[in-house]
Amino acid sequence: MKRLLLCLGTAFLLSAFAPQSNPAIKAGEKLVYAGSYNMSGLMTQLAQVTMSTETVATSKNTYLHLSCELSTYSKWDSFFKIRDIYESYVNPTNLKPSLYKRSIDEGGYTKKEKYTFKGNTVNSTVKKRNRPETQKTFTIGGSTQDVISMLYKVRTLDFSKMKEGQTQSLMIVFDEKQVPVTLKYMGKETVNAGNLGQKPCYKISIGAKTDALRGKDKNLIWLTADAKKIPALLKFSIPVGTGQLVLTSATGI
Amino acid sequence: MRKLFLILSCIFGVLGIVFTALPMDTLAFLPIGLALVFGLLTLVKSEDHQKKIPKVVLFIGALCSAVVLGKTLLIKDEVATDTQFEQQKMETKKEAQKELEELEGLE
Repeated sequence: MKRLLLCLGTAFLLSAFAPQSNPAIKAGEKLVYAGSYNMSGLMTQLAQVTMSTETVATSKNTYLHLSCELSTYSKWDSFFKIRDIYESYVNPTNLKPSLYKRSIDEGGYTKKEKYTFKGNTVNSTVKKRNRPETQKTFTIGGSTQDVISMLYKVRTLDFSKMKEGQTQSLMIVFDEKQVPVTLKYMGKETVNAGNLGQKPCYKISIGAKTDALRGKDKNLIWLTADAKKIPALLKFSIPVGTGQLVLTSATGI
Repeated sequence: MRKLFLILSCIFGVLGIVFTALPMDTLAFLPIGLALVFGLLTLVKSEDHQKKIPKVVLFIGALCSAVVLGKTLLIKDEVATDTQFEQQKMETKKEAQKELEELEGLE
């Protein structure tokens, strides 16, 4: 009897402290966005952004590969070709990153970044065009994400009980340092979600202490107000202007 | 004043043609619209024998508008198949798998 109780007790404790499963993000998801940039007050469609997930297995572990690709539309390729890839390899259960990679090619300017996460230590390698490779090691908090996994992590948060103006803090790794990010819940709005139709969405403002983002409440994300929390619309304000990503197609959700 | 309107209409007319040729989408309407406005103002301020150039500017503006509208409505935004980029993605993925194995080896 004691053994049975011990077994049941251990099983209960294990289940109680097991990492929370992540029902929102699964492998095989593909979200396609039309990226527009504000030119003299008019939104001009420039590129297609594809966010996809897939399972990647090594001999020891299984990871969720979160990928974000940006490609300019063919009509722009002769003038300013962009081919960017942002990737994160995360734990499928808690979305904790192990490897983050960024490879950009923007009109001939290239940059490659690699961040490996080992416990609370991050090793970063950065290689810019015509510059020698630089390496850095720095420590981070236990819940620090990279930029891509942060976007997916946001989808696992429960906004249904949040009040307008309520904030939540996250930490991300950006430009070889740890940067605090604040998410502010701004209420619900109905927006067009591509092939999903009109959807009521949670409107979230993303603020970070970095020069990469500009303005107060100018970087916004609308997540469908359902269990999947699909990003339906993203508006951003960066030093070189403003733009938006509009969801055109969501498959495998 | 007519001369100024004429110069501006010509400048925006040329910009309109350039923007129409480039993949600027509806942004081309900006110089085209200004060319049309200044073209009309020049036309109003012109004597009968001076109306040829503003009429040409207005015609070019209208033509460019039609081309931009046609391009916007008929040509679909598509990403070209880029074999080099696809190859790069495959290589990056293979590299990542190796890097993850190495990382696991350190644990």
